[in-house]
Parts: sequence; C-alpha cells; structure tokens
Amino acid sequence: MVAEGDRTVCGRPALAVVGQAALLSLGHLPDPLGAGCSALTRSALLFLVKPSRFNYARPTSVEEVIGLLAAHGDDAKVLAGGQSLMPLMNARLARPELVVDINAVAGLGDIEVNGALRIGSVVRQRTIERSADAARIAPIIAAGLRYVGHVGIRSRGTVGGSIAHADPAAELPAIALALDARMAVSGPGGQRTVAAEDFFEGLFATAVSADELLTAVEVPRPPAAARSGFVEIARRHGDFALAGVAVSFEYVDGAVRSARIACSGVADRPLLATAAQDFLQQEDANDPRTFAEAGRRAAAQFDPPSDIHAPGSYRKQVIAVLVERALKAAIEGSDGADEARR
Amino acid sequence: MAAEPMTVRSPQYVGARVLRVEDKKYLLGRGRYLDDVVLPAMAHAAFVRSPHAHALIKRVDVSAAKALEGVVAVLTGEELAELGSAFVTELQRPDVLSVTKPLLATDKVRHVGEAVAIVIAESRYLAEDGCDLVEIEWELLPAVVDAEEAISGDAPQLHDDVPNNNVAHIEFATDGVDAAFAAADHVFGKRFHCGRSHAAPLETRGVVADFDLGTEQLTMWSSTQLPHFLRTLIAPHLGLSEGDITVIAPDVGGGFGLKAHVFVEEAIIPLVARRVGRPVKWVEDRIEHLAASGHAKEIVMDVEIAVSDDGRFQAFRGRYIGDGGAYSGFPWSCLIDPLPAASLLPSLYDVRELGYTVDSALTNKCQTTAYRGPGMHPGHLARETLIEDIARKLKIDPVALRVKNCISSEPYVTANDMHYDGGSYIESIELAQELVDYAGFRREQLAAREQGRYIGIGFSPFVEAGTWGSEGARALGFPAEFYDTASVTMEPDGTVTVTTGTFSHGQGHHTSLAQVAADRLGVRLESVRVVDGDTSKATWGAGTYASRTATVAGGSIILAATDVRDKLLRIAAQMLEVSPDDIELYDGHATVTGVPEKTLPIATLAGIGYFGGPLRPEGQEHTLSATRYYDAPETYSNGVVVVIVEVDIETGAVELQRVVAVEDCGTMLNPMIVDGQVHGAIAQGIGGALYEEMVYDDAGQLLSGTLADFLYPSSMEIPSIEVSHLTTPSPTTEGGMKGMGEGGTIAAPAAVVNAITDALAPFEPEINHTPVRPSDVLALVARGPAQRTPKP
Repeated sequence: MVAEGDRTVCGRPALAVVGQAALLSLGHLPDPLGAGCSALTRSALLFLVKPSRFNYARPTSVEEVIGLLAAHGDDAKVLAGGQSLMPLMNARLARPELVVDINAVAGLGDIEVNGALRIGSVVRQRTIERSADAARIAPIIAAGLRYVGHVGIRSRGTVGGSIAHADPAAELPAIALALDARMAVSGPGGQRTVAAEDFFEGLFATAVSADELLTAVEVPRPPAAARSGFVEIARRHGDFALAGVAVSFEYVDGAVRSARIACSGVADRPLLATAAQDFLQQEDANDPRTFAEAGRRAAAQFDPPSDIHAPGSYRKQVIAVLVERALKAAIEGSDGADEARR
Repeated sequence: MAAEPMTVRSPQYVGARVLRVEDKKYLLGRGRYLDDVVLPAMAHAAFVRSPHAHALIKRVDVSAAKALEGVVAVLTGEELAELGSAFVTELQRPDVLSVTKPLLATDKVRHVGEAVAIVIAESRYLAEDGCDLVEIEWELLPAVVDAEEAISGDAPQLHDDVPNNNVAHIEFATDGVDAAFAAADHVFGKRFHCGRSHAAPLETRGVVADFDLGTEQLTMWSSTQLPHFLRTLIAPHLGLSEGDITVIAPDVGGGFGLKAHVFVEEAIIPLVARRVGRPVKWVEDRIEHLAASGHAKEIVMDVEIAVSDDGRFQAFRGRYIGDGGAYSGFPWSCLIDPLPAASLLPSLYDVRELGYTVDSALTNKCQTTAYRGPGMHPGHLARETLIEDIARKLKIDPVALRVKNCISSEPYVTANDMHYDGGSYIESIELAQELVDYAGFRREQLAAREQGRYIGIGFSPFVEAGTWGSEGARALGFPAEFYDTASVTMEPDGTVTVTTGTFSHGQGHHTSLAQVAADRLGVRLESVRVVDGDTSKATWGAGTYASRTATVAGGSIILAATDVRDKLLRIAAQMLEVSPDDIELYDGHATVTGVPEKTLPIATLAGIGYFGGPLRPEGQEHTLSATRYYDAPETYSNGVVVVIVEVDIETGAVELQRVVAVEDCGTMLNPMIVDGQVHGAIAQGIGGALYEEMVYDDAGQLLSGTLADFLYPSSMEIPSIEVSHLTTPSPTTEGGMKGMGEGGTIAAPAAVVNAITDALAPFEPEINHTPVRPSDVLALVARGPAQRTPKP
C-alpha cells in the first residue's frame, strides 16, 4: 500500500497517467494503454500497484553499471533512492526488464571537497542537507531541501536521483542550475561533464543517454561575496512546488553581480530568468524597486503550464513575487525559509 | 428521561480523562489490520477496471489471462451475475428512485474505475499480470460530469430506469416562505459549489473471504464500520443465510463514513472464494480507492436569506443539487449529501419560514458515500458564507448578526420539524468571542492592515445532527429503524464483558464504553472488557457512524448494565441485610450507604450470582447477564469553530494562525476522546476548506487519482487546536450524551473561508467554491476594488 504523504509514490508520474496524452509524451515510458491494442481495446492498467516482473542487478563499479546499461539500453533502469522509479514501476508505468541498483557502487556515496563540492549521485538528500561542507560552500542546498517531501523521503531520496529524474517542479534541479553545477556523466566512451543549463532537456528528460550514468554533481566553490536564496510556494509543505526560485549571485558594494535566477514550475524544465539577470547586472540593488522589477522581468519571460493545483497565470504572477523574495532573502542572509510566506 | 447520575456518588469514570486502553496495542505496532489476515492456501484478487467514464462493453477476452501461469480464475461481469445478485439502493420513501449496480459491469461502465473483471491468482503480482492480459473492446459513450447538466434533460442517460439522471426531486416549503421573501427588506443569495471530496482513510478497503466447503459457512473479514449490518445486507446477495456468515472487522485504519457502506467487492470476494474453493484476499490499492470507492460532498447550492433592515433573518430558501456520481451508494443512497444539507438549513437560527428543493443527479463519476459531516458540511458552508457576505453588505458585525438571529438554549423545533434538545447556542458563541478576544483582534486587524498585512477571523457556529437513532435519521430524511444493542455480562469472578453492535475503529470505544459500564456496575475500569467487530461474538447492531456510538451504544449499555446492577443489588441486600436501595456499588465494592464497614467485594456477589445456591435471592435467575436495545431520540450537539488566518496577498498563501473550538455534546464520557474527535474533525474540515478535491475533466477522466493530486492536510498544515467545552446534557437521551465527532468537519470549512473573506475584506471578496487554492485567493484580490497597500 502506498504510504501517506509520500509524494513520489503518489506522484506526478501518476498524475501523468491520468492525463494520458501527457504521459505518452514522456517518450521514455511505455504506452500505458498497451501498445498494439486498437483504440477501443484497452486494458485498464491504471489500477495496478505491483510492478511487473523484472530482473535485478547490484553492481559494485561504475564500469559494471555502464556495461549493463549498454547491454540493455532502454530496457534497463537505474535505481538510486527509489523515490520516483519505484512508484512508476508499481503503477506499471515503467516496466524495465532490468533494474540496476547503484547503491553498492563504490564512490557514488561520497562527498568530496576539492576546490569544488563534489556530491556523489547516491548521496542521500538528508546527508547533504546536514553536511557541514555543503553548508559552507552552498547553503542554498540545505535551504531548498527543506522543501523536499519530508525527512523520511529525504533519507531515502538521493541528490543524483532527483537531478536525473528532472521533474520541472523539483527543488534540486533548480538549485543545480542556480549554482551553475556541472554533472559528471559516465558512459561507454568515458566520462564527461555537462553544465546544468545543458543537462535538463525537457519533462523528465536529461542529457544522460540510456547507456550513461550520472555519477556526481559538482558545485563550484563560490566567491567570497556569494549570496544565495531559495523560496517556493506549494499547496502543502513537502509537495512539489507550484513555483520556486533559487538565486545565487555576488554581492559587492551594494551591487548584484553574476546573478543566476533559476525558476521551477515555469516550463518543462527549470529555467534561468535571463532577462532579470541582465537587468540586475546594471541596476542599483539598494533601490527597493529593483528586485520587484527583476521579478516582473522574470515573470515576463515564462509561460508556465496549468494543472489542477494552479493555472499557469498564477504561476506567472507568483514567480515575480518569489524572485523578489529570493533576492531579498539572499541579501538579508536568511535562507529563505521564512521568506516563502512573507 | 432525565439525565440521572449513574451512581449515588459522582461517577468514578464517566467524565474523566481516562487513558485509552487501546493505546498499548497500537503503540507497540500490534494492531492487526485486514492485510495482516493470512490464511492457508489463500489466493489474491485484483480487479480489471474501466479507463473510461462511459462506455459500452462490446467484448471481454480473458483467455490470455486465464492461460497465465499462476492465475487461478478470471471472472467477468456475466459470470458474477450468475453467482450473486446486483445491489439495489432504495430509500424507504416514494420520491426516491432505486438504482441498480451490478456486481461487476456487464453491458456498460459508468465511471473511470468501475470494476469489469476479477483475476484470482497465487499472488497479487500475478493477479495484476493477469489483469494486464484481459482485453476489453469498448464503444465510447458521451459522458456527463456536471450535476446540473446531468438533470437538464439534455444529457447522456446513465441508467435506463433513472429518467433524467435524477434519483430524487424533493421539495419542502412552509406556507409563508414565498410571501416572506416577497415582503423582505433585503434578499441576499449566493451559489456555492462545494468541491468533490473523499474520506480517503489511511487504510483502504479490503476483504478476505473463507468459505468452508465442509460446513458451507462463510467467514469474511472486511475493513468496515458496520460488521453486523454488512452481514445483514450482504447475505441475500451471496445466497446465504445470516446464520451461515461470520463477519469480522479487524483493526480498521480509519473509515470516516466511507466504510459505513456495503460495496460490491464485499459480495464479489466471498462469491469467488466459494467458486475457487480457496480463501481469497483483496486489498484495495490507493488508486482504486480514490477512483472507485466513494466520493463525497459535491453539491451545487443556491441559498437565499430574506433579511430585515435591522438584520433579522426572516426566511431561508435553498436549492441543492447533489452530484451522486454513477450509482447510489449502498445502503444510504446518493441522497446522503444533498438531503442532510437541505434538512439542516435552519441550523441554529430562529427562522420560521423555510423552503428547499433537493435534486440528486447521477453523473459519470465515482459514486458518493458518507464522509464525516455528510451534506451538513457543504450546506453549512453555503449558509455561513452567505451570512458573512450579508454582514458585510449590511455593515453589521458578522458575529453580532449571528447572535441576533440565534435560538435560545431551550429545546426548539425547527420549521422543518427537527427537534433540538437544547444547547448552548448563544453561550458557545460568546465563550468563543472571549477566548479569541474578539474586540482585541479587531484592533489588531486594523493595525495589521496599516502594515499591509491581511489577517482575518471566521466564526462558524454549528448544530450537529449526530446519533442516528430512528428519530434522528427520519429528521434528516432517512426513514428507517436505527438503534443498537448491547449485552453486559458479569463473569463469575466479577469481571465484566460488554458486547456491542457498534464498532470502534479508532474512536477508543473500548475505553469510553467501558467507562459507562464500570460506573453503572460500580466496578473498576480494568475489570471491563468491550467486545465488538465480530458478528459471532457481539450482539447485533447497526455499526459506528453518524456520531452515534456514545449515545446509542452508551444508552444500550446503561440499560443492560442496570439490569445486571439490579441483580447485584438484590444479592448484596440479602447478604448485608439491608434494602437494595441502601446499597452503593463503587470501585469494586458493594457498601451500605453511610456504613463503610458493611461492605462486600462485587466479585463475591458475582460468585454468589453464579454458584451461591441458597445465598442467591429467591427467584433470581442464575448468571448475571442482560441484553438490551436502545433507540436514542433526536439529539443535537452544538458548538463553534473560530479560525484566524493571515493571507499573503502576493502569493495567495493562507496561514492558519489560530483555531479555537467550543464544543457542547452534553455528557462527555471521556473529554480526552472528545478533544481528539474535535481535533480530527477540524483537521478534515480544514482539508475541505483548502485542499481536498477530486477533479474530473470534461470527458470524465479523473485528474486526482493519487495523493499528490487529491491533497489532504498533513500535520504540517494543522495548527494547534484549542478546545473548550460547555456541557448541556440532553434531557432526552440515556445518560445525557449527544452525538459528537462531526461538528468540526461541518463547521471548520466555513470558519476558514469566512476568515479568508474577513482578511480580504478591503477587496470585497465572495468565495463561492471550496477548496480555496492560493490561485483562487489571488483571483479574489485581483477582482477587488481595493488598492494593494504598498508594503512598508
């Protein structure tokens, strides 16, 4: 049985189930209505909660993982914290023939500080939330993670899993984008890194191909004057955001420089509010109108989607407020937690 | 009958905050729920359910499913129809049509999630694999998802024998209601659409059936609120007599009214278990639970109030169109929402002219079932939000307007013949005003607005029609006999076994009902054991729902325990050589009043009762047991919920700053348990106000199929709830108890909505729909005439 409050179990994948067209557009999931059936001959797969038969592998090295992925292609799925994949499998929206559990892979659970902060892809969200290194280098990670589900979910869910799943309303992808993080991806041809801006390609779609594995997220060491802030609004605590904003910038002599304003819930992927960023580069941050105008410019850039929780017009309106509040929170040194409401 | 003291002294247990005897089991994780029932050779069931809102079934091909290794059987609707009979829901009133629901759909489906076939397999996994292989050819039909459109005469017809998709058209009017409206200084009205909700208990439904081929007797476990009633109602559909069926309700993880029904799955699983000759288990998954168990509370309401210049309510009028979904929930029918909504229109207001109409539409959505405060919660929202709007328009304080029109504390007969048994209607409002420092709040509110902050307060006084005895059910429009029975047995060692036909599924009855018996018999609480939830062990009863248990079970236990008490008194009187009138039973001893040294342990009296030979009073039966029934008269709790919110007018976020409740349910058996009921009921009311809605698209596809889409509040969303009590014992019920447990759900939604309305007063908002989402709040702000106050 599905646990109460486990948003991923009950999650967006299943929302997509019901909006069947939306689900089919995901591409990497099988046709839930049964490929090969005529339009009027459909099994009702909506009501299943036990996964279909699958094989399970628990490799211990990245090379083994790549080998399995290369051999099985789209028929294999990577299991990290299981907070998205397992519900999808339970509802038979994902029917991998092989589940590749990467929790035993050496090195993927490590947090390293070597100039940059390198977070292995199976590091639990709760671990990084409480990491002193992360708090020093990128406090916005902990600030944002407090909005992710509940402690139980974060104790299972991984940093890499959330980023690789690429939910457009999720917190970590937006934070990665704001921090200009780089994703380390391993594949048959070796390792490459992908900038956050190039990583998120669409709804639940990333630059990681079927035979590749996200192995780490690298957050660059911030300059001394770095500031950051995270705010979001959701129907309930722990839900996916209706809209959220992660900001990161340098604050020098009352000026905001090199701002990165990442917005979630505004499109099929997290996006940078580039017009607002450009505006801030030239304006006086001490003028209270500046951040409000930055918010307006951010909102003007987006045409967010609607769902049963809010129309797109609401998201557009509120993103302006959230940008303003996130900037203020960053300047004031609060982490944004109190700013979400007010 | 007056509320007499239960013992000569003040009661030892009733009214005390006794810790729950149930807690140890649950805290140790030793609860045993439906899914914990495991039987040898048990097979598992899964249902093939419709992905379509309205479609003809042209062909069902189960051959591939049957051929799958591990599949035991696959049955279609046609095959089920040969094993057992369809459900027919009918009320005992001529203006309500009966509606038939086949066990499994045969010719057509009427909502997404309707069961079409069942697969029995060696495991649930394999059963679902089998479901995957069932092929159905559909012919899609146009769907209707709007209640008003459904009964417009122009909509697709769901059932051939329900013309116009309308199960009932009911009218009530006092002679002078139209004249009162015609002559009124003001007539205010509004349309309110209460969103479609779902009780959504943590534990979904589930059934295990074990048909013994040797004895031809059935044992079934079901996650139900009404084990005996389930047996009575299900037996005809199974072709069995009640005597051949044992129904066991194990620990139940929440019902909230939804499980106070009988569902087709409760017939299907026993039938297939008999067919395959093995025990069969079905545990409902969350998606089927949301799509195919029971929805609730969706009503479109037009409410009007005629008001004089000085703010007197002169007449109420309402039109209620319930959206019952595709079938009429068994056995209460799809009237379970719109009829109580209309019947309780007068609430606590002194209004002699009253009129309402009720229509009960069928649509291509899941059927509706009861959910805490059925109908009363939506009806209350429509009236109380309208009163809030009226107060603003007439520039009268909304609390003063309510008090001005409120009935007095005396028993009162409403214009539609509901017999209130008296309460603290005005007093509870006044107490709530004190508790929140109403005048102080108004000052604070003005100061906050100066700072660009929007705080608001909402008052929602209520009358709760609980208890559900025959009279109370009839008053709400459901004429049938509802009572309950209890047996009270003092065992030879002086311990006490109470059995009841009600069923505790989280409410702590094993504590609160034991308190009643302990006081009546003068024994210690730990000597009393309450047995329920098993038709082979407990006396017949109608079950636990509609806030009835304290009153009807409590009443029946008082009566049965009194019979046993009388025997004990006679034995004690003989042994102590005084009159029975001089004996006091207290704390395990029988003592001569005023002579403490003349005393005997009650255990000794019990031994004499069973084995005392000549010591037993002449003519007294052996043993110490009695079974009595009780049909409580009409009784109504009352109270107030007050909510203070702060609204963020830039994001639409609503923060609940304070929730204050005043509850008057007459005699409280256990105030701690009453508090818990208030807390839970208010939490669900907050859910109704801000979160819970089952949404369908125009084609009848369900958009709220998971708990990420249908939201209910978690502990993070519910602030601390402050509860105060007033006590106006019922002059009519045994013990003075009044049914309680739903008032918070009835009243809290309007308190929240009115608080938002009050916070946003500068924008002149009118809220016409629940739940109120952040986006709805911003739309109210945008529509309002006020300028946004610049932030400091």
